[in-house]
Amino acid sequence: MARNKIEQDEELETGFDVEQLKRLTHYVGPYKKDLTIAIIIMVISSAISMLIPIFMKNVMDIVTNTVYKGLYTPAEAVRLIIINSVSTIIVGLLCAIIMRYKIILTSRVGQGVIYSLRRELFVHLQELPFSYYDDKPHGKIQVRVVNYVNNLSDLLSNGIVNTITDMFSLVFIFIFMLYLNVRFTLIVLCGLPILTGIVLFVKNRQRRAWQIQSNKQSNLNAYIAESINGIRVTQSFVRENKNTQFFNQLNGDARTAWLNAVKYNFILSPVIENITILSTSVIYVLGISWLIGGEEAITVGLLTAFAGYVSRFWQPITTLANFYNSLLTAISYLERIFESIDAPVNVKDKEGATEMPEIKGDVEFKNVYFSYDDGVEILHDINFKVKAGESYAIVGPTGAGKSTIVNLISRFYNVDSGAIYVDGIDISDVTIKSLRTQMGVMMQDSFIFSGTIMDNIRYGNKEATDEQVIAAAKTVCAHDFIMTLEKGYYTEVNERGSRLSAGQRQLISFARAVLADPKILILDEATSSIDTETEILLQKGLQEMLKGRTSFIIAHRLSTIKNSSCIMYVDDGQIQEKGSHDELLTIPNGLYNNLYQSQYAFLQ
Amino acid sequence: MGKTISDYKSEKKNSSMRWFYNYLKKYRWKVAVGLVLVTITSILAIINPKITGFIVDDIIGDGTDIKMNLLPKFLLLMIGVSVVRSLLRLLFLYLFETASQDMLYDMRDGVYKNLLLKDFAFYNRSRTGDLMSRQTGDMMAIRHFVAFVIYNIYENVLLFVIALFMIFAVDWRIGLAMIAVLPITGFMTYKQSTTIKPKFMHIRDKFSSLNAFVQENISGNRVVRAFAKEDYEIEKFDVENEAYKESELDAAKVWTKYIPIFIFLSHMLTFLLMLVGGIMCIYGQMTLGNMVMINSYLWMLNNPLTMMGWLINDYQRFTTSVDKIYSTITQKPDIQTPRYPKEVSKIKGDIEFRNVSYTVDDEPVLHNVNFHIKPGQTVGIIGATGSGKSTIMNLICRFFDATDGEVLMDGVNVKDLDLHRLRDGIGIAMQDVFLFSDTIEGNIAYADPDCPFEKVKWAAQMADADDFIMQMDDGYDTVVGERGVGLSGGQRQRISLARALLKEPSVIILDDTTSAVDMETEAEIQRDLKKLEGHTVFIIAHRISSIKDADIILVIEDGRITESGTHDELIEKGGYYRKVFDHQYGEFDQIIRKRREGA
Repeated sequence: MARNKIEQDEELETGFDVEQLKRLTHYVGPYKKDLTIAIIIMVISSAISMLIPIFMKNVMDIVTNTVYKGLYTPAEAVRLIIINSVSTIIVGLLCAIIMRYKIILTSRVGQGVIYSLRRELFVHLQELPFSYYDDKPHGKIQVRVVNYVNNLSDLLSNGIVNTITDMFSLVFIFIFMLYLNVRFTLIVLCGLPILTGIVLFVKNRQRRAWQIQSNKQSNLNAYIAESINGIRVTQSFVRENKNTQFFNQLNGDARTAWLNAVKYNFILSPVIENITILSTSVIYVLGISWLIGGEEAITVGLLTAFAGYVSRFWQPITTLANFYNSLLTAISYLERIFESIDAPVNVKDKEGATEMPEIKGDVEFKNVYFSYDDGVEILHDINFKVKAGESYAIVGPTGAGKSTIVNLISRFYNVDSGAIYVDGIDISDVTIKSLRTQMGVMMQDSFIFSGTIMDNIRYGNKEATDEQVIAAAKTVCAHDFIMTLEKGYYTEVNERGSRLSAGQRQLISFARAVLADPKILILDEATSSIDTETEILLQKGLQEMLKGRTSFIIAHRLSTIKNSSCIMYVDDGQIQEKGSHDELLTIPNGLYNNLYQSQYAFLQ
Repeated sequence: MGKTISDYKSEKKNSSMRWFYNYLKKYRWKVAVGLVLVTITSILAIINPKITGFIVDDIIGDGTDIKMNLLPKFLLLMIGVSVVRSLLRLLFLYLFETASQDMLYDMRDGVYKNLLLKDFAFYNRSRTGDLMSRQTGDMMAIRHFVAFVIYNIYENVLLFVIALFMIFAVDWRIGLAMIAVLPITGFMTYKQSTTIKPKFMHIRDKFSSLNAFVQENISGNRVVRAFAKEDYEIEKFDVENEAYKESELDAAKVWTKYIPIFIFLSHMLTFLLMLVGGIMCIYGQMTLGNMVMINSYLWMLNNPLTMMGWLINDYQRFTTSVDKIYSTITQKPDIQTPRYPKEVSKIKGDIEFRNVSYTVDDEPVLHNVNFHIKPGQTVGIIGATGSGKSTIMNLICRFFDATDGEVLMDGVNVKDLDLHRLRDGIGIAMQDVFLFSDTIEGNIAYADPDCPFEKVKWAAQMADADDFIMQMDDGYDTVVGERGVGLSGGQRQRISLARALLKEPSVIILDDTTSAVDMETEAEIQRDLKKLEGHTVFIIAHRISSIKDADIILVIEDGRITESGTHDELIEKGGYYRKVFDHQYGEFDQIIRKRREGA
């Protein structure tokens, strides 16, 4: 898949399908009990609230009977009125209490569902390969975990409860209407085909419109994230105006997409409202003519009662329509979330993978071929064998495949063919975790988490004591500069490294790798920003630590690597030369020899 | 007497609301027209039940004398009212949506521009996830308020007032009884508002913090994998996720308490009417007809009360978000273009540091740095990690201001220059390469997106990047992921160098830009750079080979310039530079000497 640019919409593959809804029930499943209780009490609540008009009617009847017909004495009437009004307030109290429990239950369900959905998404993201992160702007992944998931909370709690409650009342009213009069009921039902027609007509457009909206929103969010991360470049290149223009293009797209999508959501309510009035009118016209025609089954009471039920019949349908609207909106988010959850994990534990025993440090590459997704072969037939405790250096021009070789040892990618053995065990046969926890990798990009320096180093081994952290910092010569900071190890730093220099950040991530107590240490241009003097000290510190451990070093400063047990010169995805520093220098016109000479060329 | 804390609080609240209103102002006519339409539809909403009542009572009556001739008229009227009402409703819904989207557009634009003006110090103390929440979640709360809450509050208040008015007109005593619930309602509204606000603040904080955590996890995904710390990350995520959930549930507790009260109060009204109205009827104080009429207005009082709690929630969510955004945008950057910048022609590249010191959080970074670089000179800078090399560059670009002393560009203090003017004249390739998710061409042409392709190619060639770019399948159209993943460190550095060169700046700063580039390529780049005439070039490097040809080499130790001179002078001097040289080249130097001696 090609990499995704900010302004590019992500592809939309799946159509609207019930599967997505079915999947949702999987998240709602654990809350079946809560939801059922909520629905039951809501049904009770709407049933008892229907008593209130009856109490009101009672009161009016009492008044009529007392004032006009003199059936009750005023005292009796007052007593009856009190009974009815107290009943009303009791019903009110019950409704209020039920509402209280409904809110408690639905908040619990709503928050619970998004909690677990978000967790599942996050856990899956931890397993996804680098390529997943490399292919799209990070902001687009992030909004899925944070914003999109939030959008589902109300739908999956209140939405479900209200809808099911309303379905109950719909069925209840329908039966009641049938019982009252079949013909009138059929008239009312005539509105349904119209409604269905409109729903079907709008459905696909509406869904598409919301998909576009969520895409545009995602583009905008991704650009915001990138703008914040790249602010230094933007400011130094005085790109503020251009960026604002671009931002506003995305901003405008988001607005247009929203306004386009939201209008579909407005359609259903007025349609239903007018259908209600229309069917009421038809009932009056036909009802009255039947009444005049002397049909026995039709009475004035029936007519007026029925006209009242028409709106009661359509009201829950309005709620259903609203639910449907929010469902379509939500699905545009949901399918993005599911897409991430479904993204294939290429590098994963084989079935029956065993734990990697404690690594001694033999590493062997046997006929390793490798290409990234795009099919361009990066490594061709790599073969080498490293004995435990040796230090191997890899040199070669940029883009030759040096980083790829070391990345394969940690199994960040699977090889296309061939195999990599650690202590004679094929690394694809062991669990990734047991393999990686025994390796220390320091990459070109030293990422610093926000938190204290102490926390950042401890990331290598969260069980480490403060003393161990400090010892690791001392090993890599980071201790001195850390101590010059006012708060020392408790200085807060952030992802952009705050005020640490690039070299200092490298030292911190170096300490992190050292603290992990790795059996195999991989340094991928780990010291490029560190000054030579510190590097000398660092190497002295490392020598002690590296005893009995295997190490791989990629570096451009030859002073960094010339003491390695073996140096491999890699170019074009192949090992061109291999041997110790002295051996390689004996090759006349050898690649390493030339590199070495060129480095010193200016001295001559 | 100074202001009390609550004075400050209310002042802040007022100003954040003023900030919001300034954005809404532009669309106040849309909102006003919308509200007029709401008024009309609300009145129409009262008409239809009246018509129904009329049909039932007067046309049908008891069924003996049906006035059939009137029926079509009234039915048509009813349908007409309904159609007009739903059309007007559509219109005002759309008006509020457009007003909210237009306003949101302006607001996002404003906040975006504001963030672009913030200085490095601001970004050093803010988390990306936090800043993102301002532009996403908080904006959504404001959108919801303008598009939905405003008219709902208005509609409900309007209905409530109309109904009260009508009821008073029918029977003032019942009206008074109904009004009795108002103080309780008011008190509850106040209580809910004040208790819920801090809860929403808390939710926003937890949301931001969750956002920031996820953002870092995604950015740092390589480190997480490398250390196999997925489980640990999930553990930490669970804490954040749980805290956010708890904050939501904690807030829900508040409305769990108040919303049922409002619902109870709405039933209270029905109760009052039944009891008071019924008894008054019995004793002939009121007619049954009046009671029926009042009953027909009752829903107009009930509905607003039922909605009350939710609307208060929405309103406070909104004010919380406004406060959050406002407090972010009002953090004034220290680095700004002066009100009256000195007029200068093109930046020439004459740079002087006069007794410059720079301190951050009481930690001195630079002490009394002095140097003067003439246009066209090449300056090499070498020194230990964290000694202050990059800080010098940041002061030249005015990303920070010197604590003491002056940084002069072409003889003018950089604080007196137009910020854009100054930075336009400087091309910097930073230590920490940041590439954008865009094509390679787009990245190189970052300073001038409309420049011809030839120029992009030229810049790439100068940075020795053209070859590897052309080897890629899509060449210059290759999309590089965020931060340039997919490219090796050296390739990224060269793209970032090409990006800086494309500006054809008067001052070129290479801040450790070739550290991940192999020696031969670096030598190539150095040769290319020499072809550029009349540029002031700063090269920060750790490799002697990178800087040895510089006109002047500065050695920085602990924030001080301890040595300066040409390569030969510094080798002669035998200080730090010599030590570094000996380590990198000592062995080879001896071989050469031996050879020379032998010869």
